[in-house]
Parts: sequence; structure tokens; C-alpha cells
Amino acid sequence: MQANRSYITTARIQPARQTKLHSVLRTVWRFRAFYIMLLPGVIYFIIFRYFPMYGVIIAFKDFSIMDGITGSAWANPWYKHFQDFYQSPYFSQLLTNTLLISCYKLIFGTFPPILLALLLNECRIRWLKSIVQTFTYLPHFLSWVIIFGILLTLLSQNGGLVNRLIVDAGGQSIPFLTSTDYFRSILVGSEVWQNLGWGAIIYLAAMASIDPTLYEAAKVDGASRLRMIWHISLPGIQSIIVLLFILKLGHLLDAGFDQIYILYNIQVYPVADILDTWVYRTGLQQLNFSLASAVGLFKSLIGLILVLGANRLAKKWGGGIW
Amino acid sequence: MMRKMFSFLLIISLLGALLAGCSGGGDTKTNSNASSSGGEPVKEANGKPVKLEIIGIGNNLPTPDKDIIKQELDKALNIDLGLTVYPSKDDYVNQLNVRMSSGNFPDLFIVDNRQQLVQYANQGLLLDLTPYMDKLQQTVNYIGEESVKKSMVDGKVFAITKSPQIPYNTLWIRKDWLDKLKLQVPTTIEQLKDVAVAFTTQDPDGNGKPDTFGLTGSKLLAFSSVFGAFGVGMPVDVGMPGNFYEKDGAIVNALYDPAMKDALSFIQQMIASGAVDPELMANNALQHQEKAIKGQAGIVYIDWPNMTKQQFVDQIKTVNPNAEWVQIAAPSGPGGQFDGPWDIGAAPGRVAIPKALEKDPEKLQHVFDLLNYISNPDGGSMLVQFGVKDTHFTLDNGKPTMTDKAGDVGYSWLYQFTGRPEMEYLQAKFATQSDFIKFANDEPRIKALNGFIDNPEGFNSADAIRYIEEEISKFIYNKRPLSEYDAFIKTLETSMNYKAYLDSGFEQLKALGYGD
Amino acid sequence: MVKSLDDKIFNGIVYVILGICGLAAILPMLYVISVSITPFGEVLRNGGFILFPREITFTAYRTLLTESNIPKAFQITVLITVIGTAVNLILTGLMAYPLSRKNLPARKFFLLMIVFTLLFSGGIIPTYLVVKSMGLLDSIWAMILPNAVWSFNVLIMKSFFEGLPEELFESARMDGAKEFRILLQIVIPLSIPVLLTVGLFYLVGHWNEFFQAIFYVTDRTLFPLQVIVREILIQSQQPLENAENMMPTQTMQMASVMIASLPIIVIYPFLQKHFTKGMLLGSIKG
Repeated sequence: MQANRSYITTARIQPARQTKLHSVLRTVWRFRAFYIMLLPGVIYFIIFRYFPMYGVIIAFKDFSIMDGITGSAWANPWYKHFQDFYQSPYFSQLLTNTLLISCYKLIFGTFPPILLALLLNECRIRWLKSIVQTFTYLPHFLSWVIIFGILLTLLSQNGGLVNRLIVDAGGQSIPFLTSTDYFRSILVGSEVWQNLGWGAIIYLAAMASIDPTLYEAAKVDGASRLRMIWHISLPGIQSIIVLLFILKLGHLLDAGFDQIYILYNIQVYPVADILDTWVYRTGLQQLNFSLASAVGLFKSLIGLILVLGANRLAKKWGGGIW
Repeated sequence: MMRKMFSFLLIISLLGALLAGCSGGGDTKTNSNASSSGGEPVKEANGKPVKLEIIGIGNNLPTPDKDIIKQELDKALNIDLGLTVYPSKDDYVNQLNVRMSSGNFPDLFIVDNRQQLVQYANQGLLLDLTPYMDKLQQTVNYIGEESVKKSMVDGKVFAITKSPQIPYNTLWIRKDWLDKLKLQVPTTIEQLKDVAVAFTTQDPDGNGKPDTFGLTGSKLLAFSSVFGAFGVGMPVDVGMPGNFYEKDGAIVNALYDPAMKDALSFIQQMIASGAVDPELMANNALQHQEKAIKGQAGIVYIDWPNMTKQQFVDQIKTVNPNAEWVQIAAPSGPGGQFDGPWDIGAAPGRVAIPKALEKDPEKLQHVFDLLNYISNPDGGSMLVQFGVKDTHFTLDNGKPTMTDKAGDVGYSWLYQFTGRPEMEYLQAKFATQSDFIKFANDEPRIKALNGFIDNPEGFNSADAIRYIEEEISKFIYNKRPLSEYDAFIKTLETSMNYKAYLDSGFEQLKALGYGD
Repeated sequence: MVKSLDDKIFNGIVYVILGICGLAAILPMLYVISVSITPFGEVLRNGGFILFPREITFTAYRTLLTESNIPKAFQITVLITVIGTAVNLILTGLMAYPLSRKNLPARKFFLLMIVFTLLFSGGIIPTYLVVKSMGLLDSIWAMILPNAVWSFNVLIMKSFFEGLPEELFESARMDGAKEFRILLQIVIPLSIPVLLTVGLFYLVGHWNEFFQAIFYVTDRTLFPLQVIVREILIQSQQPLENAENMMPTQTMQMASVMIASLPIIVIYPFLQKHFTKGMLLGSIKG
């Protein structure tokens, strides 16, 4: 706050309002380089993200394409679409599924990429490191349609590879893809697998920025490899871990529509039907934009609360967004 | 001070966004521009060709330079036809909605289902064609009066229904497996069950592994003919919660048909005996076809194209040169013999014109001309069905036969905006499969009436459909005892609001003259 | 350097686990490659699963490369990817640097503005209207501009910039350097890993883009690669019910996936080299 102090000492007597405006302008001038840098991005956000935001009012209207967004009549009562959503007999099941699946994915999905990154970082054989990095990053490029085909080939109850082995060994074939007992695990497992190498990239980049002299000093002090990981590598990527965790929390109510929509079927609806798949069947296929918008708004609000709350907590661990 | 600056900036930005939003929203109201996104102004009829923009669902449309059908249509009608097709229904619906919202109307577009038709009509997006019926006389003659009615909302015609389709689905069975196990083709449901069990337990492919099973299909549709053998419709059909049909002069809903419980009980026994694909209810898209081709299933309920088109015949032969699939009639049972339901109220497709086009009578007339032309047996109908005469097909006594160049116009169906005479068309285009086509067409079906019904206000059919699918699935897999069937109906009526659908359905059908 | 036994055991464990991960990841990819070069009949005969093809055919690839629009689409994709990623990195970097300076007034406001858009969106119709009103429909820019800055990437870059030692900036400022110079000559050279990472994210994002193309563009000659691939794949997922519909075989589907993914897969190993531990940071310090 240097600027403030220096200003106050040379202040002339002026009406209070003008002083404030003047000081604002002065600050802007002082930091002008930064504001100029920010300008293009801010323009982008205003045009392509904030201009269209008036669209959220669709959630409170009975959207009619002919009348457009501003011309459509207000829903009566204003919370009508939220009510439709809340009163669906499946509401609590949808919410539970969404939260559970998201939490499982969050818990089981956060650590593997970090572990892989740590392992790769510790790998002394260059060709092995390079190959494993490339291999693990490949699944990210397979769309869920393809992965579903692979899962079917492996896990189908009749003829899937895994089940063939089980049956040959004398066991009973397991309905991996159609049983409520296994389906969520399949969802979480396949997503962890798909994301493993890709997710590790960012942690590797973070580790590349850690000062190597820290490791050298630790080695001189006789620290073991594990010790070095715990005290140097991990803290070095701590802020990224926390940041990513917070951002994922913001999408807690998403749970992965693309994957679930392709993989699910009637028999696993009770454990796999999430908010988005319900909205797809009910809202979009029945052209009910207002309903889809209401659910979207609901998800966004919860996401915001989670992000703000998590951010506050994260400050204690030295992370956070601001 | 920072706080104040923060709030100052915040307010400015919000105001800015709001103002921008208001003007942005204003755009949506000025949507009465008649010309399509092509942007070319309308020309005189005897001058430059009129640009028409059409969108629909489909794939494999060739580029305009290779599109013979477009070129012929352009010549005949003095238009410049721009067709864009979307392979994915979702993409198409998104695109259509977004274009409607922004005033960027195409001149002619496909309406996917009745719900869309009703919604668009009620929102005033579609041109009311009733006053133009005389201009569309040729089209009306082609599709028939019945079809015209199918696109009426509140007594007014809002779209052109394509001419009716014929049923494709039947049961197919592995004849070589029957021979190997010395079994006869099943003609009753009891026999069907026994054969299916045999296929599962007696190793019909002779490889010593228990890797085969009896019946498969696309989820509940696999049992279409079994339900039919009890004289009931389906508890849930594609997109429809419960078939409505006439029985002994009265309108009946499949879920309330007294024979439904018997049908479900029989199906439950079939499943319990192991005769059915264990992953039946998970069969999306064409997985049942794959299982049949791969030699996992011995009986499949499927449409003839997916069984008998050359590419599939080749696949079947590659997997097993001795595999022999034959088409069989629906098995008979206590309720008669019906090869599943056939919705006589459904439309194979509809095309509609945006209301905005009435401001451009010139272009509108050209759209009518196009529709009439392709509906004219002496005019363009042959073109959009088979291609160019003497290049892609020849006429022997009025009967069309495809030439070997027919493959060049395999996409012609994308231009059949008003449909085609199903039977003759299929017989000509798929000459090798003509017996299968006729057989499927001649099968007795339960005449379902759901296509005539519009969902009542406040009824969420998606939830009802999910509930029915899940509970029926539980009944037939014995996860829920059939004694609870009435409790199921009760929940359906109350929690899922099915009563509203039921009552509304009866009302609408009575108004159309069904029942007594 | 004497390697202790502990060290050797540790290395051993690392290699084993990495080996398992590598295998688990590559096997399905092998499956995709194998199916793409095996005639479909063979695929079916083996129950749909091939790992090591016995019969090989390149017909699927030949068809795709000659008959469909893939070559043109490929050009479009490359164009979008190159221009797009450049635009992305510039805009993102320009935003991330000021926001990483904790003394910037209204910093919280801008960050909130960015985070807000991560969670809230106006929806596809309003966004379409904005794009339309800017005259971007049916142009390359419709596939570049609407997603020009990803909030996620700004936050990541900012986080990295925040980790740079403060002394560097202070000494540079004392030497009278202007902020732009600091950004270009100090920050960027030290941030190669994060620039590459974020650049990779954007690059892959552009490469895989299809939604914006389908949504904003009707001119088929402007369609990027993934739209074509998606059209092929979606026919197996939502088959059209006409009798005339031609279904692409699994061989064809896998071949299209391979054509679409191969270039991007090949790029990564080249970028890996630059992720070497702290080499730049060390050299600057010295």
C-alpha cells in the first residue's frame, strides 16, 4: 500500500468523493501494465461468457423458442421448474447417485495420477520413463464409445474375457456391467484408468519446477528416497494438488455424463442414473429447456458454494485460488 | 478503499452484462426474416434458381458435385437445393432448436416425433398448411388422407407426414442348430421356450463350451411375439409407456390387460430356465445383432435389414460358413398369434415449413413444388427412390429393377421428404430380400394406437417409462414377485402420474372414434 | 555414487509398478490398433477381440483416406489447432501473470470473475446468439474464439507463476524493467513446463473439438477431423432405422479413431523432453 501512503502525505484539501475517484484512477495508472495485459482476456470473458449469461433466466421462465429468452413468459410460480425437478420420484436417488459417484471418483481418482507422477519422477531409466508416460497418456484419447466396446469385450457376462477365465476355472460368470453391485466400481475404475497418465502430466510439470538443489542438499544430509519424496516432491506440488481438488469439487454434481450415458442400462439405473442423465431424458429429449436450465443452475450454485468453502479451508494449507 | 473499488467495478460489470443481455435478448425477437442463412435474395421464377435450405437426420450424403439427385432436382425445379444432414438425432435437434431461436430458419426441416410437432405448432413456429392443401394436392394424394391427419394439431395441418412404413421385425432362428439338435421350428410359445432352453444347454455349436443361449433382442422387444401370443401389447414400447389397442371393441391399455400378468409369468419362466440372453436388458443399439452374428444367440427378434443385407450376410458367413438363419412366424399362445405391436398412429417421419416462410410466397411455392414433384409417380418420385432412369434403374412393365450402378444413389432416401410406396420400393431396391420383406409385412400384429395420443400437461413420460422398464425387468427376472403387480400399477398411477396419461389417452382415442 | 541396497530396492519397486501401469494402459490401445487392421469378418470370428492380428488389411485406412472428407478435415484441424493454441497461450499467459501478482488491486474480483464462469454458463442458445451476432458462424473463428480462454488453465498458470521466487521480480524492477519485459524475458523462460502443459491441454482440446463445429458450422468443407470420426462412430451407437442405412464396421470405426488420434499421440514424446527437472531454474540461479 505504498501508493496510498505517499498520496495521503501530499493530499490537497478536496471534496471526499473526488479524492476517492482520483485515488482509484491513480492506482489504475500505476498498475496500468497489468491491466493492459488483462484486457484481451477480460474482453473475451465479457463477450463470450458474460453476455450469454442472461440465459440463466430460462430456468425461471416457460421458455418458448418463438418468443425467445427475453420474450418468454415467466414461469408460474417462478420456481416451477425447480419444483418439477425436486418433485420427481427419483430426485433423492439421482442426487445420491450423483454425489456418491462423484465422491468415489474424487477419492479414488485424485491419488493415482499423483502417485504415477511421483514414480515417474523417481524413475532413473530414461527410456522406461518415456515409454510409460506415453502409454499411460494414451487412454485419454479414446472416447467412451470405444472404451465401452473394450469393456464389453472384457466384462460381458457371456463371452467376456474375464468371465471366460472365471468359468474355465470353475466359477460363475459375473454380471459386471448389469449388476448394481459392480457397476459403480466399473465407472470409477474405468475413469481412473482413462485419466491416469493424462492427470499425471500436470504434476510432472510441477515437479519439474522444484529446485534441484533441494534434493542435492537432502541427499547430502542422508535422506532416503522416500523421505525426499515426502519432504520435497510432495510439498512442491502441494499448491497444485489443492487447486485441482478445489476445482473438481466445483463439479461435484457433474459425475461424468458422457461416460455414464454410454455405459449405463436399465438394470443399473438405481445406482447409475445421475442428474445429468435424467435431465437428458426428461428435459432435452422432451424439449424442456427450462427444466434443463433449472437443474444446471442448481448444480452451478452448489458448485459455487463448494468452491468458495473449499477455498477458504485450503488457505490454511497454503493453497487456494486467491 | 480496495473494497469500494471492488464493488464499484462489480456493479459496472453487472450493469454492462445486463445491458448487453437485454440487447442480446432483443435479437431473438427480430426473427421474422424470411430468407434462409444462404442469404441469397429471392429471384424471379424464370431467372436464377431459388435457393432452398433443408435440414434433416441422416448420413453419407455426397458432396454437391457428386450428388446426382440434387442436380436432377435443381434442373427440374429451377432451385438450388442445399441439404444438410446430421447423423446424430441429438445434434440435429440441437441445431434445429438453435436455428429456430435465432431466426435462422431452414426452408424445410424434419420433425422427429409428434411431441416436437405439437410443441413447435403451439409455439407458432410452423406454417399452418391447412389453407394450402389445394396447392399440395399431389402430395396429399401420395401420402394419403390418413397420413395427413397424423400431422394435425387442433384440427390444423402443421406438417407433411411421410407415407406409411411397413413392419420389419420378426423372429429369426438358427436352422443349422435346430437340425443339429433334431428339433422342429417352434410354432407355439411352449415350443419356443423349449427350443431356447435347448440352445442354451445342449451345445448346438458343438464346441464343448457353454457359450450359447437361446433368445435375444433389443431389451423387452425380444419378447414382442410372446406378449403377442397372449394377445397383449407391450408394457413399454420405444418412447411409449404402455401400448393402447382395441380388444373386443373396447380400448385397452397393455398394462391393465388381464392377460398381461400371464404373459409376464411365462416370460419369467423362460428367463428362469436360462433360455434368454442374461444381458438382454442391456442390449443397446445393435448389440443383439452382433450376438446373433457372432453365434452366441440362436433366436433373435430383429428387423430383416439387419439380418439379410449383403454386408451382414457376409459377416455371418465369415464367422461360420454353415450358419443358416431362417425367418419364422410368431408363435401362437393363449391369446392368439401376434408378432408384437405395430403402431398405426405413428408416422415414419414428418417435414415441416417454418411460419416465417409465408412472407416469401415465391420461395414457399418452390417448396410446395419440390414436395409435389417428389410425390409425383410420373415426375420426381422415381428419382428420389431409385435415381435416374436407365442409369440406376430400368422399368419393366412399370416394375423398377436396379442396375449395377444403383450403389451410386444409395443415399436417395435422404431426399424422400414425403416418403415412398414402401412395399414396391423395398421389393425393388432389395430384390434379394423381397421374400423376407413380404413375410414381415404379412405377419399379424396388434394394432397399437399410441401414435395418436399427445401427452397431457404435467405428465413426465421419461420418469414413467423408466419406472415401467425397471419394474417389468424386476418381475421377469424374479427380483419382484408377480403378486405385487397391482402394487406396481398403484405406484405408477400415483407417483408417476400415469393416471393422467391413461385418462387422457382414452379420451383422445374415443374422440378419434376408437372403442365403442 | 554408491548405490545403497535401499536405493536399489526402491528403484526396483518403482520400475515394476511403472511397468504394470504401462501394460495396463497399452493393452486396450493395442486392441484398437489390431482391430483397425483386421478384416471385420476375422474380428467377429474371434468373438470381437483381437490383440495380435493374424490377417492384416489396410482397406479401412485406404477408404477413409481417399473417399471420405478426412484429408480436408485434417487440414482444417491442423489449422485450428495451430492458430487456436497460439491465441490460447497468449491470452492465458497475459491473464495469468498479472493475477499472480498478489498486490494487484481488484485481483480477487478478476479471479472471481474467472472462477464464476467455470461453474455458471448461459447455455447453448444464448452463446449461439452471441456467436451469430458477431458474424462468426460458418467460419474457422467460430471454432477458436468461443473457447479462447479456459478458466481452468488460467488458474493453473497463475499458480505456477506464483511459485516463482519473488527476488527475481524485485531485482528486475529495481533495474527498471517494465512489466512486459519481465513477463517476456524472465517469467516465460522459467515457465516452460507449465506453458507446455497448458499448451498441451489447449492443443488436445482443439484437436478433439467437434461440438463447436457441429453447432456453429454448416459448411461441410470446414469440418474438423473429429466431426467425421464422430459421424462414423455414432452410427453404431444410434443406428438409424432405415433399411438403406450403411453401418461402418468395427474395423472402420477403429481405423477412424486411429487416424484421428495418431498425430496427437506422436507429439507427446517430443514434448516430454522439456519437462526435465528444474534445469532452467537452476541455471538462472547460478
